[in-house]
Amino acid sequence: MVIRKEVALADIVVPPLGEVEEVRVVRWLHEVGDEVQAGEAVAEVESQKATFVIEAPVAGKLFAILVPEGRAAAPGEVIGKILEREGER
Amino acid sequence: MREVSWVPLGRVRFGKALELQRRLHHLRRYGKVPDLVLSLEHDPVITLGRSADPRHILGDPAALVASGVEVVEVERGGDVSYHGPGQLVLYPILDLRGFERSIKWYIWALEEVMLRVVASYGIRAGRLPGRPGIWVGKGKLGAVGVYVRSWVTMHGLALNVSPQLDHFRWIVPCGIHGAEVTSIAALLGREVPLEEVDERARDAFAHVFGVRVAPTDVEVVTE
Repeated sequence: MVIRKEVALADIVVPPLGEVEEVRVVRWLHEVGDEVQAGEAVAEVESQKATFVIEAPVAGKLFAILVPEGRAAAPGEVIGKILEREGER
Repeated sequence: MREVSWVPLGRVRFGKALELQRRLHHLRRYGKVPDLVLSLEHDPVITLGRSADPRHILGDPAALVASGVEVVEVERGGDVSYHGPGQLVLYPILDLRGFERSIKWYIWALEEVMLRVVASYGIRAGRLPGRPGIWVGKGKLGAVGVYVRSWVTMHGLALNVSPQLDHFRWIVPCGIHGAEVTSIAALLGREVPLEEVDERARDAFAHVFGVRVAPTDVEVVTE
């Protein structure tokens, strides 16, 4: 018998960076399917001359990249999703 | 008043300074070292930031490397930069949560430090919208490029005190074609000692960041 467990998708969000309206995703440090730890660097965004590292909000599997490298995103925008590892919450 | 350690390193190869920066950045994120600023000058080096276009290196890379110029990819934002002797380089490793959680403010503050230093020599430099750094007319006098993780910074600013300006012909500075590069020495028509500029930068940094700056040996910070 299969017991279905609830799965949760956590958002990878560009945080408020202080009066920055737009950033560019310059690098994804993982591929979809990779395991990531909570707090691990998953992506880098750039605004003007600043690189800002986005960290994984939870441990799990990188489930989706919504904003690919080279594309723009706004602070607050969800750029990817992580499939949370069970029992991590 | 908050204190920031000011760590003079003298002349350092880029790779060595980068290793130290990465180590200190890591330690700062875990609260193992205080806020600090590395102050140094580099041997000739061309660095490629995250958005660098390798075509913006104009010299033959093999010839450059053969003549002792390092070419290094780095994590800071921005395009291609040149660093070399006669340039004051500051690498602040700060937890911005103790200042302002704002990238824009931080870039502004680094520019402000440079503007104050050059103003103390009677040079009126300014900002150009959309082109971080400080400028005198079309000439770039100082550059910024930073990396921020968990609100802890690394990389920083480079102020042209008296570098060999022809070395900048090896690159397209910041990827801007037609951009010119200038220096404090070129604008004043005399040599300016780097130590003197470092002292003024210390004062300017203290003022802009609202901190007390304490000269500190690197061994003290890393032990």
